[in-house]
Amino acid sequence: MLKFLLILFLLFLSFWSFSQETNLSEVVINIAEELAADDSDPEAAVTYIERLYELAENPVKINSAGENEISRLFFLSDFQAKALTDYAHSSGRIISVYELINIPGFDKETAEMMIPFITLDSKTTVNSDSVHWRNTSITNLSIRSGNDDTTSLGSTWKILTKYKFTAGGFSGGFTAEKDPGEKFFSANPPLPDFLSANLTYIGSGLIRRLIVGDYSARFGQGTNINTGIRTGLSLTAPGYMSASDEIKPYTSTDENNFFRGVAAEFSYENLGLTLFYSKNYSDATLGSLSGSSKDYIENFYLAGIHNTSSLLQKKDAIYELAYGINLSYNFNNVRVGFTWSGDRFSLPVKMTGNDPVDIFDFEGDRNNLYTFSYNGLIKRILLYGEFSTNEYKKYAIIQGLSFRPSDRLTINFIFRNYSAGYISFHGKGPGAGSATGNDQGILGNFTFEAAKHLFISGGCDIQKFQWLKYRCSSPSSAMRQEIRVRFTPTETLTIDASYNNRFSMVDNTEANGIPEQKQIITKSIKGSVRYSPYENLTLGTRIDYKVVDPSGSKGMLLLQDMVYRFRQLPVTLWFRYCIFQTDDWDSRLYTYENDLLYSFSIPALSGEGSRSYIMAKWDIVDFAEIRVKYGLTSLIESGTSTKNNKELKIQFKIQF
Amino acid sequence: MSSLHKISVSVFYIFLSLTASGGGPYRPSAGAGEAGMGYVCIMKNGFWSSFHNQASLAYNKSFSFGLNYENRFSIKELGTRSVGMTIPAGKASLGVVYSHFGYTDFKRDMTGLACGIKLSEKISAGIQVDYFSERASGEYGNNQSVTCEAGLLVTPSENIRIGIHLFNPVPNSIRKTYLPTTLRVGAGTDLNKLLFAGVEVEMSSGSKLIIRTGFEYEAAKKLWIRSGFSTNNNSFSFGLGYLAKIAQINLGFTTHEKLGVTSSVSLIFKIH
Repeated sequence: MLKFLLILFLLFLSFWSFSQETNLSEVVINIAEELAADDSDPEAAVTYIERLYELAENPVKINSAGENEISRLFFLSDFQAKALTDYAHSSGRIISVYELINIPGFDKETAEMMIPFITLDSKTTVNSDSVHWRNTSITNLSIRSGNDDTTSLGSTWKILTKYKFTAGGFSGGFTAEKDPGEKFFSANPPLPDFLSANLTYIGSGLIRRLIVGDYSARFGQGTNINTGIRTGLSLTAPGYMSASDEIKPYTSTDENNFFRGVAAEFSYENLGLTLFYSKNYSDATLGSLSGSSKDYIENFYLAGIHNTSSLLQKKDAIYELAYGINLSYNFNNVRVGFTWSGDRFSLPVKMTGNDPVDIFDFEGDRNNLYTFSYNGLIKRILLYGEFSTNEYKKYAIIQGLSFRPSDRLTINFIFRNYSAGYISFHGKGPGAGSATGNDQGILGNFTFEAAKHLFISGGCDIQKFQWLKYRCSSPSSAMRQEIRVRFTPTETLTIDASYNNRFSMVDNTEANGIPEQKQIITKSIKGSVRYSPYENLTLGTRIDYKVVDPSGSKGMLLLQDMVYRFRQLPVTLWFRYCIFQTDDWDSRLYTYENDLLYSFSIPALSGEGSRSYIMAKWDIVDFAEIRVKYGLTSLIESGTSTKNNKELKIQFKIQF
Repeated sequence: MSSLHKISVSVFYIFLSLTASGGGPYRPSAGAGEAGMGYVCIMKNGFWSSFHNQASLAYNKSFSFGLNYENRFSIKELGTRSVGMTIPAGKASLGVVYSHFGYTDFKRDMTGLACGIKLSEKISAGIQVDYFSERASGEYGNNQSVTCEAGLLVTPSENIRIGIHLFNPVPNSIRKTYLPTTLRVGAGTDLNKLLFAGVEVEMSSGSKLIIRTGFEYEAAKKLWIRSGFSTNNNSFSFGLGYLAKIAQINLGFTTHEKLGVTSSVSLIFKIH
């Protein structure tokens, strides 16, 4: 251990620095952190980062001028996607990424954010005449101290392996994973704890996409079906996520939120049709009314961890049939869509408790949802909306407006009203919560290029919860506000500052009887500077300060990043040292960390201590690379004694 | 306030908060020049600054010798005496520093060996190995500890300097005595030929974030006026410096909200 730390320190002394090749932009990092900080939707950050890695792995060919291809840049607004498509059409070919700045609706910030995810190559991936095999295999091994529970069934290592191939219009692959404490092979026949596979065909004729195996789907604004990322990601994101219909192969590791079966997307002139069918086993806690056999679902188990015998019993306890159809039609500047989806569970869901919070929870064994959606572009105004309802006449309504009065200013509004009792098992509408129900709110934001190199963005989201929710024993409300200023005086220097104000209500558990609501107000300021004195070296410094009222607890951190890419060796090093101090868990702080490919890390820093890591990437040969990350969190406990949490991650990647 | 009470309050502030003006008590006190401008020093070239960011040692190209005395809160028991030396050695420069803090019942000695080197036109780096020795009377016993610190100095342009310094990155689990880890980052600029201004942030494990800012103005030939402010105890600083033939003398004064004024004086000799 001592030797390793000494090596770590010597490495720091010798090679402090930074490379940009896998450096996600500050904007992207801000969004990921915002998602991670939003406790109500912890999976969003995972999905978001995974999609970015997918884009980085298979960059969008912007010169292909295909709307479908360009819409893969999911963080662009409809305005931007359309403007980029038109520009690529009219100019013939985009020669430099810096041309993007000249496209109406694009600024330097957006262009910079796109750089890791685009290529100027114009060949589309769909080319059946030249079948070119491409294989990618990634294997992750990771271990961290603290995961050494002796009651666990398997080893403390987390193991993840992914394989993907593409050959012309065909692609496929598999994902296998075991979490810490799980057996890698379990059940009969012995298979990895989580195993996912798919085979995909992408065509340019009537059949646009056909997936057999595991897939994710999203239609319209996502109130009916959306197993990916919700729209309205960030208060201050420069783009506003557009709604698009898509089915895509599933490559993530969330063990419960995907479809398993067949999905097909057809297109004929302006008409689009998607059909999907899925039979997927899910984790659940079962109960028994008869006393002899399990005959109803008490609750769904979504954590995906099966490291004890009792948790293993929940694994694949039920199956769910899901099916649906999506029809869309494109008029000139207006697109309309209709979606119907159905769910059937192998056992009925029964509410067993008497908690009023659960009164609108789902009961029964089937759920049907019907959705109408539209979006239309009228000059500089984009209007979009969606209406979904179930058989109990509970509904979800969305109405949005995106307005670009000038190329330097974009204003967005989105209103949502999800009634309590509207339940979608695979839907995720715009808003702050993970469930699309019991939520009424309006979100407004703007992005403004105030001057050359100076960008200002801000947003406000006001929510009302008509019914009770977790830790809130009466109807409540919440609000988020943020303003961000970004200054990029040169290409090598970026200065970013933001102010965030959050308000929420929770039960005051200190009082007896029916709890009253108390207001929690969180204010935070972030400042960061990123500077690259040389092409292969980047330095980053960041300060966070947070105050939580009424407790008055405070949190603060100072961190230093350095990344360095050797000129003579195919090696890149990342280094971070962060010192933090928070008064309690409420004032915790989040910081994005560079991590293994297809992984992400945004630890919640709470208490007093430091968080440091070093990661090295070595391109062994043209087709293989290895990454190693060692992280250490040191917490001060009771005066001067410290507790250290260590983690080690190793990744092998082969591509040929 | 009685002297004994003052001492006990001071010790409480210094050794429990570890954030008294001038940085943690495990580092040698900055020179009087640095004290005068609010201890904004990790991006500034200078004799004592070199022991707060060893990367700036690379810019000390003459054999120099310095003495410093800091009289914390005008209490002699809390005085710190420091002595240092820098030695040019080709592309690198070496440094030696020794400081002694305390009085009969509590003493802390620190010895550091430092090296700074210019790596490229824009970047220099430095490292220092520290040995601490604490001796306390009675039941408290003695402690010894070894650690290290390292720094970077980046000069993006002729007028701008960025300093980054990390003290004690070694986890405390591998030794008996607890030492805080401190990260400092700062930037400074020559606003014109006569005026230098800088800002610095510091955070130590177990302590709150501190922001410092300060300036140095050449009021007359060989005469400098300095001032600064630190969010730690809302401390203001003032100072003067004068360069004689081979020696530079500096005076620094730093206020504390409750404990009064800390004064310091330093002498720096450039031999050749």
